[in-house]
Parts: sequence; C-alpha cells; structure tokens
Amino acid sequence: MTSLDTKVVVIGGGVTGVAVLRDLALRGIDAVLVERSDLGTGTSGRWHGLLHSGGRYAVRDEESARECIEENLVLRRIAPHTIEDLGGLFVLLPQDDPAYAEQFVVGCKAAGIPVEELTPGEARKREPLLAERIEAAYAVPDGGIDSWALIRSMVADASSRGARVLTRHPVVGFERDGDRLAAVRVRDLAGGEDVVIGCEWVVNAAGAWAGQVGALAGVPIEMIPGKGVMVVMASRYVRGVVNACRKPADGDIVVPQHEVAILGTTSVQVEDPDDVTVDPAEVDRMIDMCAQMVPSLARGRVLRAFAGSRPLYKPPQQAGEDTQDTRAVSRTFTVLDHAERDGLANLFSIVGGKLTTCRQMAEKLVDRLGERMGVTVPCTTAEVPLPGADHGVHTLAGPLATVEREGAYGTLICECELVTAGQVRQAVADGVVELEDLRRRLRLGYGPCQAAFCAWRAAAAVCERQLDTQVRAAASPAAQGGSHDADPLAGLARFVQERWRGQLTTVWGDQARQALLNHAIYRGIFDLAADQPDEAAAWRTGGIGRQGDGQAEDSRSEGLEREASERDDPAAEVGRGLIGDPDRTSAGTEPG
Amino acid sequence: MRADVVVVGAGPAGLAAAVRLAEGGRQVRVVARGQGFTHWGAGAVDVLGRVGGERVERPLDAIDRLGDSHPYRLAGTGALRDGLDWFRDFAAAAGLDHVGDPERNRGQVTALGTLRPTCLVPAPAGGELRGQVAVLGFAGFRDFSAALCARGLERAGYQATAATVELPPWSHRRYFTAVELSRAFDDGDFRARLAPALAKAAAGADVAVVPAVLGLGRGHEPWAELERGAGLPLVEAALAPPSVPGLRLFTAWRRRLDELGVAWQLGFPATGVERDGDRVTAVRCEGASRPVVIRCDEVVLATGGVAGHGIEANRDGSLTEVVAGLPVAGFEDRTHFIAGRFLAAHPIGEAGVRVDGELRPAGDDGAPMLENLRCVGGLLAAHDPTMEGSREGVALATTARLTAVLGAADHADQDVSRR
Repeated sequence: MTSLDTKVVVIGGGVTGVAVLRDLALRGIDAVLVERSDLGTGTSGRWHGLLHSGGRYAVRDEESARECIEENLVLRRIAPHTIEDLGGLFVLLPQDDPAYAEQFVVGCKAAGIPVEELTPGEARKREPLLAERIEAAYAVPDGGIDSWALIRSMVADASSRGARVLTRHPVVGFERDGDRLAAVRVRDLAGGEDVVIGCEWVVNAAGAWAGQVGALAGVPIEMIPGKGVMVVMASRYVRGVVNACRKPADGDIVVPQHEVAILGTTSVQVEDPDDVTVDPAEVDRMIDMCAQMVPSLARGRVLRAFAGSRPLYKPPQQAGEDTQDTRAVSRTFTVLDHAERDGLANLFSIVGGKLTTCRQMAEKLVDRLGERMGVTVPCTTAEVPLPGADHGVHTLAGPLATVEREGAYGTLICECELVTAGQVRQAVADGVVELEDLRRRLRLGYGPCQAAFCAWRAAAAVCERQLDTQVRAAASPAAQGGSHDADPLAGLARFVQERWRGQLTTVWGDQARQALLNHAIYRGIFDLAADQPDEAAAWRTGGIGRQGDGQAEDSRSEGLEREASERDDPAAEVGRGLIGDPDRTSAGTEPG
Repeated sequence: MRADVVVVGAGPAGLAAAVRLAEGGRQVRVVARGQGFTHWGAGAVDVLGRVGGERVERPLDAIDRLGDSHPYRLAGTGALRDGLDWFRDFAAAAGLDHVGDPERNRGQVTALGTLRPTCLVPAPAGGELRGQVAVLGFAGFRDFSAALCARGLERAGYQATAATVELPPWSHRRYFTAVELSRAFDDGDFRARLAPALAKAAAGADVAVVPAVLGLGRGHEPWAELERGAGLPLVEAALAPPSVPGLRLFTAWRRRLDELGVAWQLGFPATGVERDGDRVTAVRCEGASRPVVIRCDEVVLATGGVAGHGIEANRDGSLTEVVAGLPVAGFEDRTHFIAGRFLAAHPIGEAGVRVDGELRPAGDDGAPMLENLRCVGGLLAAHDPTMEGSREGVALATTARLTAVLGAADHADQDVSRR
C-alpha cells in the first residue's frame, strides 16, 4: 500500500471530472483525479459528438438552451482544436407539426440562439442528400466536438499546473473521520496494490456511476442511467448536423464526425449504467427514422452501433432535508453538497448535465467548493485557452494536410484515420501499452475496415517499443521487472474483439464482407486465437440487445471486475461503480 | 458473345476451373467482379487445417469427420487428391514449386510469428524452422515487424531474434507497398547488394524468416538466388493482403489462360442468367458501358461465399445468391450471422449453395434445379474456408470433380486448346 496527500480528490475521468480538475488547477488548488479505467471510457466516450447550439432544447427547456449556446461559444474560444464548425439544420418534414417549428424559432430567439430560416431549396443546396420533400429548415450554430481531444487538452492543462491523474485506479472505499472523509482508497489495477489518498475534500464526478460512489461513502444518490443507442455509418453523408424539427425522439439527429456519421439516439431507462447492450431493432429504427431526413442512409454501410448511459439524476421526492439541492445552479445539472444534505462535511457530487456544458458545471461546483474552502480565486476556465487552441478549429482535411506536410504516407499505421507511426510511437513512449487506449487517443481502428490493417501494425509498434525499453533496461533488472511486459498477441486479440463488440448488430451487406475479410486475415492468415468473452451468449440468453461498443470500454478492467465478482469480492462492486463521468444530457428523458 | 462454358469468378476455384476445362478442350470465358482469394489469402494451399476448432494433423484422414454435405464429401477424396496433384504440376510448370504432403499438415510461419496450419506451401515458405531463428525485417517496410514476429515465435517455443536490414537504394516513391518491394527483388543487382546485409544480420542463426516479398514476376528464382547469397535458408512469412505469393500464382494462372486462349475479364461482374426451362442459356454481365450477354452451354459459378461477394447478406437475416438467385438458407435474423467471439466460427462463413453430386444446385428434395449450372469453391454450402482452413483444397477438389463431370478430365498439358 502506498499513500499520497492532496487537497481535493476528484472521482471520475470523464469530461466533468476532468473539467473540475482543470478548474481547481487554475485556481491553484492541489487535486488528484482517479478513474477506474482510461479517461473518457464512460459516457464521455459513448455519445454522438454534438456541440449543442441549444436548438434541441429551444422549445421545452429555455434554461438548458441558454446554457448550451453560452458554452458553445466559450468552447469555440478556449478549445477550437477539438471542434469542427459544422453548423446545423433543423428540418421540418411534411409529417411534422408546423406549430413546433414556430415554437422552435421563438425559443431559439428567447435563448439567444442565432437562427436563420432557409427555403427547402437553400437547405438542399447546403445538404444535397436531404429528402426531396421538406417543408422548411432552420440553420443554427451546432458543431461537432471530440470529447477525447477535449479531455486530453484539459488534462494536459491541469497537469502542467500540478494536478495529478491516476487512471485504472478504481475507488474501493473511503476512510472516515467523524463527519468527514479523511482519505480515498483506490486500487492500482496494474500494480495490484491499494493507494490511500489523504484529502480535505472529495468531488464525486462519476456521472451515471455517481450513485455507486455515493453508496461507498454512505450517502444515497438516485441516478437513473438513461441508455442511448447510436449507429455509426461508414461515411459522413451530411456536411453539417441534421436534426428533425420535432419534439426530440428516437432517430432524429445525424452528426458527421471525423470520417463517419453518427445517428442518434434512443432513450431508455436502465438499472445499470454499464448496460450498454444494443438491440438490432433499435439499430433498424435509428436508420429508418434518420433516413426520413437523409434517404440514402437507408442503403448505407453501417459500421457499428453502441450505447451510452446518460447521467440522469432523480431529485428526491420529499423536499424536507434535501431542499439545499434546489440551490443547484440549474435544472440541467445539480450540485449536491452532502454536508447540508447528508451531514457528510466534505463531499460534493455533481450529477446530470451534458458535455457541452461541462466547463460551466465545473465552474459552479468549484465556486461552491471554494466558498466552503475559503478560496476566493475566481474561475478563469472560460478565458484561458486550452493547450492546442492555437491550431484553430479542426477540419476534416486537417489530418490529411498534416500527413502531406510531413510526407508521412509511408508511416501510416491506420489509413482510414490517417494515424502515423510517429503518433503511435509517441503514445507508446508516453506509456500507452493497450491498443484500446491508442484508439481513444488516435482514433486507431475507427474507419470502414474496422482494424483489418491497423491493429497488427500498432501491435508491432508497441512490441518494438517494449523491445527497445528492454534493451535499455537490460543493465537494470529492477526497471525491467517493473515494466508492463504485455503479450502483444493477447493485446491484439483484445483489440479486435472490442472492435467486434460494436459490430454485433451491424453485420450485413458490405460490412458482412468486411467482417469475413477481417476474419480471414486475423484467423485465417495470422491464425490468431485467444480465449475471448462470448458477447452473444449473454445476449441470447438475456433476450435483449447485445453489447455494442462504439467509442469505449476496457476489456482488461472488465475482466478484472468479472474475476473479482466471481470471488464475491466487495471490491468488484466498487470497481464496477467507478468509471466516473457525467456528460451531456439534462435530467429528464430527452435524448441527446 | 458466346462461349462453351462461362466461368464466373477469378479466385482459386474459378481460375482452376477455367484452366482445367480449357485444357480439356472446352472453349471457356472467365468473367469476374474482381480479384479473389489468391490476393486475399496466405499464399498456400490449405486443405483441412481444423475440424471442430481443433487443429488437424492428417487432413485426408479427417475428411471422414466432416458432415455429409461438406464439399469434400460430395467431391470425394479422389477428387481432392487429383486436384492437389494437378495443381502441383501446374504450379511447378510455372516455376512455382510447392512443398508439403497431402497426408500431413504443416505450419506456415506468419508475420505474427504464429504457425498457421496448412498443407502445401510455395517453396520459399517451406523451410524448416529449427535451432536459432533470425527474423529479418526490411527498413521502411511497414507491413512486417521483425520484433513482433520474433516475439510470436518465442511464444510458440522457438529461439528467435529480431533485426532490421537496410535495403539497397532502389527506385520507389516516398513510401512503398509489399507489391512494389517484391518487384525490386526481381532485379538481380538489388538482390546481390542485399545478400551480404542479410548474411550479416543473420550471422549465427540456422535459418532466417523474412516477409513474403522476395520477387513477383520471376517465380521462385529471386528467393533461391538470395538464399544462396545469404548462405542460410530463408523462409517467407505470410503477410496481410495482398499476398505476394498469391500474386505470383495469379500471374501464373493468367499466363496459362492466355496460352489456352481463354478470354478473361475482371471488373466485369455477372449480374444474372437467362433461362430456358431448367437450362441456363446465357450469363448477363455488367460491362464497362453497357450490359453484356454471353450465350453459353454451361455455366460454372465460382463467385465465393459472402466473403467473395457470391452471396449478399441482407439486413433481415436472409441471404441472396447474386448471379442466378439460387436458394441459400438464411437465418432467423442478422444477429445469427455471426458469433460473439470474433476469432470463433461465424455461421455466415459457411453459408452457401447446396448442390448434388454433380455440383448442380439442389432443391430441398436433393434434385438438381438447373441442368447446366454448377458451383465450385467457396460458394458451396456446408464448409467454412477460413475456420476450417480449407479454401484452396475445396477449390481444387471441386474443380477436379467439375472437370470429371464435364468430360474434360485429362491430366496435364495436352495441347487441345482452341479459340
């Protein structure tokens, strides 16, 4: 067991936790963030990538809409490199209610969202694949945002100011001292031992998993994970975001993101935030509904489907002792001060919210925390640009321009996503050994071929780097023993299995040929074999949708958890609870 | 346009069928959507590598353990032996000697340092791994990592070291592929300059493993000469597609088709057939600018399964044979196409057309549905070419059977070709 000390422990490595960490760092407050898996593996990695203009909330929820447009503008200023300036349309189809469109325009204006009505002709000029018959279209400043790039930038900024981040360190318990939490106990999944982090304050930013963290601390937090299914198409189809101009419902948004388009989404309440199964009928529905707006989607090539859990928070029914919660700055997210609420003096939770407003959520939370700590330094997160901001906004052609400028064609590891050997080597030098983590950093394996060619090249890069390290460490056996000596073929098998999980409901047509080609490469040519989890077994016996990984998941830590739970180890429950990170959606049932 | 026989598909089965029928005196025309599993495979002749997921030592003996409707059971062991013998002669005549024994499987080393089960391999992949193995990569070639291959070999119990060899200057663009590099090996000067570097990098080793890129257009001669120059056995490791050994073979097939006067067109997919009762009278193709109809007496479908685009897997779980609309058993829904484990067997891998003993598509009662249309290779039901490791074996066995059925069974080169 080792120990360390800090002022604030932040639990959860999603956008909210990371935004809190950065806010603390900018105010000069020492903090450590702990995350059960890799950063951005929970809800932050499982969504459609929409930088909200607020248009989706314009009719029903003016406060949310206002927050969205404010933060939309802030993020464009401080983190342009994580944003693609797509623009968005709300499209009124013949079957939609024209009255909704009128309310939409009024709502946008009230919330301060710039909105411009286009004729059907103008809309189709802008989006040539729109349906032949549309009644009207409204342009709003929707954008695309890469949550992993945002997370990395915020972490880089916070780290440069002294903040520390421990990934693959699930919380296993708290040490209490009277009405205070004196320390957070986390488990180092790589090293196997516990780390005790002594602290003065704890922030629970575990998002959909906040209830599980609360349970460990002995405070009830009722989270209602809201599962949303998304479908990934093999190309972009649209130039900007396309929304249906109707009350938000299943399959009403198409977001182009990097090389693909993401169709969203459903909203189903589930018991367990780790339930990210996908039902094939949901995939069909998503395609059919979105094809009303963009008909060619119906015959398109579908790459994957995945689900994420919205961190929806259910405020207690009884006002009584919980009235303090209503001090929460907004209906869309809630800061819980457990001193007032539960008599636990130094714990705050932040629940609800959405990715677009993560910075604002952090600001409100740290304002409250600072008040209690007696820290008066004001928040500057809306003014200080993130590292990388000088690159300007992300453009689709940006990665290609970089490859051309550097003449890096010969070193491409992933042709679909233009990942170069230099990028992989750098990531490996930074300590990444798991191909899954490379995927989140570099988008390795995201394109149409679904890792047919990149994964084994990346495995080679990791292996070569380890070999170098061993050669260098040969004189120093201690260093060698400490290195993570992973079996590259086992890592490769894990990676291709993770890619497969997302495809379980999407193998037909071209993608069926691709799947069999990939099988012929990995199983046929390379004779790769491994004990893999049977994703379908649970699905078939359970009678519900299957696992669909879109953007994240960590098979290694899952494996550990599974093992632990088989031993009936209480830590298993804890581990499962602690991918923290809230993200985008407001409390309520509105999708996306 | 007219032909005695139209062969649809240019993978191992279509090419073997076209050559054998032309050698038997039939006037043959080949049309295909694109290249087949010569390019996409490991460049070996897999006969039967696994049954029920377990590796097989003796492929011919293991055929008894396959289901009744497996293509090997339909074609018979005799046809398989005939196909393999015919292929070895054909390949040897083209300068592509194969080694191996149909009675016993062997391991073919791969870029991951695994030993995939196969039966016959081209001579450059045939050396035995023994003693100290030096794995040699080539600087700047991204599709083979000596470190990764050596690591895999160590995992498999070999003593292996990794080294990277600088290539002599050669004309290429800023980056190069396996195919471009393999062409450089066709140049004797290039090989002469490289050989000492190989010898040096492999000093002390008993055998060296190199990526399968040692020459493209000159058979196995570049490999043999480089092996002499380096002074130790060189073993080519199978890479991801496109397969250079497969391309060598494809070149040989094409040359043989040209010798036999067989017209072949790639990028020319068949889209339908015309029928008169239970006979097919013509194949419709999608030409570059217009549909083309080829009248014929016989049709051979060698379009492959789902992987080869002979069968379309539909969103509702059904399967469609794409040329003649032959019946293919579908699934309850699309999720049943596949297994939850990526590296396990996937049910659509063995989807295909059921045929009678003469390779004609059969109805539920087992009777042939069409008199003059036959199916060979991956299109056939009841085998999974990838999981079983049977792709080339099934292609050769069923084309041997086809040749017998169409009365053109003569072995080897009789000069009976006609235009």
